[in-house]
Amino acid sequence: MDIEQNQAELIDNFVKQASAQKGTALGSVILEATSHPSLFAFSEILALPTVAELEGTENSVYLKVLQLFAHGTWSDYKSNCSSLPQLVPDQVLKLKQLTVLTLAETNKVLPYDELMMELDVTNVRELEDFLINECMYAGIVRGKLDQLRRCFEIQFAAGRDLRPGQLGSMIQTLSNWLGTSDNLLVSIQEEIKWADTMSELDKKHRKEVEDRVEEVKKSVSVKKLQTVSRLKLSSEGSKISTLNLVE
Amino acid sequence: MASSSSRGLTFKLHPLVIVNISDHYTRVKSQLNLPPSLTSTSSAATSNNNNNNSNGGENNQQKPPRVYGCVIGVQRGRTVEIFNSFELIYDPSTRSLDRSFLEKKQELYKKVFPHFYVLGWYSTGSDAQESDMHFHKALMDINESPLYVLLNPAINPAQKDLPVTIYESELHVIDGVPQLIFVRSSYTIETVEAERISVDHVAHLKPSGGSAATQLAAQLTGIHSAIKMLNSRIRVVHQYLVGMQKGDIPCESSLLRQVSSLLRRLPAIESEKFQDDLLMEYNDTLLITYLAMFTNCSSTMNELVDKFNTAYDRHSRRGGRTAFI
Repeated sequence: MDIEQNQAELIDNFVKQASAQKGTALGSVILEATSHPSLFAFSEILALPTVAELEGTENSVYLKVLQLFAHGTWSDYKSNCSSLPQLVPDQVLKLKQLTVLTLAETNKVLPYDELMMELDVTNVRELEDFLINECMYAGIVRGKLDQLRRCFEIQFAAGRDLRPGQLGSMIQTLSNWLGTSDNLLVSIQEEIKWADTMSELDKKHRKEVEDRVEEVKKSVSVKKLQTVSRLKLSSEGSKISTLNLVE
Repeated sequence: MASSSSRGLTFKLHPLVIVNISDHYTRVKSQLNLPPSLTSTSSAATSNNNNNNSNGGENNQQKPPRVYGCVIGVQRGRTVEIFNSFELIYDPSTRSLDRSFLEKKQELYKKVFPHFYVLGWYSTGSDAQESDMHFHKALMDINESPLYVLLNPAINPAQKDLPVTIYESELHVIDGVPQLIFVRSSYTIETVEAERISVDHVAHLKPSGGSAATQLAAQLTGIHSAIKMLNSRIRVVHQYLVGMQKGDIPCESSLLRQVSSLLRRLPAIESEKFQDDLLMEYNDTLLITYLAMFTNCSSTMNELVDKFNTAYDRHSRRGGRTAFI
């Protein structure tokens, strides 16, 4: 997936930067990372020991910001406004993009109303502009905008960082998928067998009918009936069918 | 004589070449009128039988003669792409190559495909032979290191790869004498859209004109194998995730993100409108099958009644026709 490829370099960069610094300096690295327009994945940075150290210190706000960007949405930010530092406009934009991704996790069809509520956007035009410019051109989402039904149908959405519990549900989904495809394979095989048996039966039936026709033809030609010869002159076409019928 | 070469050239072979060679072989072989035991066909790898030997009266045990021809294509840097081929007349016993024909063909192809060069030659057989080296050397004045494409006409149902090998020539010192020997190279198949259509067509050709049941079975088999492949891949991802959960495999976030985005695409389509459309089409198809069956039955009934009338009508000829039913 191209997004992952685009991000791989950036992630490496930031990981190197973050592991080299500590404390307040780390805060500026986090700020840079969260405002970068092409970076949507933060779990690698979160996993660094230097970042985890920030917990409990006076710089723990930066850790919270990083966690917010990794797993949270815009509404999370609004409700916890007090405990988090002010976000720069770049970060606001990114957080809104990530919110769209989170919403895409649950539903494939997102109604405009819900999107407008989540993103603090008041009119449809602004919402559509946001979706088109920031989300689709950035490549994180691919889908169709249905203005008549006022919804956004998502065909593809980039993955966000995983919460710890999500791995289990992903495995569950995968095993369901596996189960369904296994069943499908079995039923297709049964259909193939059925088709083959049906064609066998059909061939047998056809052969039986032809054998009987042959028998009748032979027996009638042996008898040499007068009526049959007269019919021969009258209707050539229905001769054989007559033999069918008489017997 | 063939060991693997590692000269760094990558070869790309187009299906058109394989089809051309096999067509050449089949044509010549069928023109030879060999007895039925030696004729055989298969979808893409029919062998070309080049019959250049003009000795008549060959007995049935004669192995199928070989065909020869030239392959042309493009060489860009280290990648050699073989696009097309044409036939040549060559007699291995007298080692005479029809040069004027070769040159004329080259000119003609140059006009149509200005970028294509003669890259080498092809032949059929099971293995590269010593005598092939002469042809190879003969072509060396056109291309300083020609390729040798060999197609094996024998059909081996157990074999999964194409029976096509590409040989290059290398100068090796054997017993103090520098000699050219053939070394095998690997290749990949590359297709253009147009080629894909014809290959697809040939692949589906097997149950040709069979009854509806065999065609249905063939189509179902196709779907079955496609789903089987999908199944095996999902299984791999599943095992990977389970391993990651247990801790055997270190977590790799970017992969996990990709998997999660993939899983979010399921179910592929789920909406009321889709269900409605699906059911409507399903019902339409069922109705039409029913209607077709009805028509069939009524026409058979009609025939039956006609035959019955004709059979039993002779008694009531004088009294005028009375329908029996």
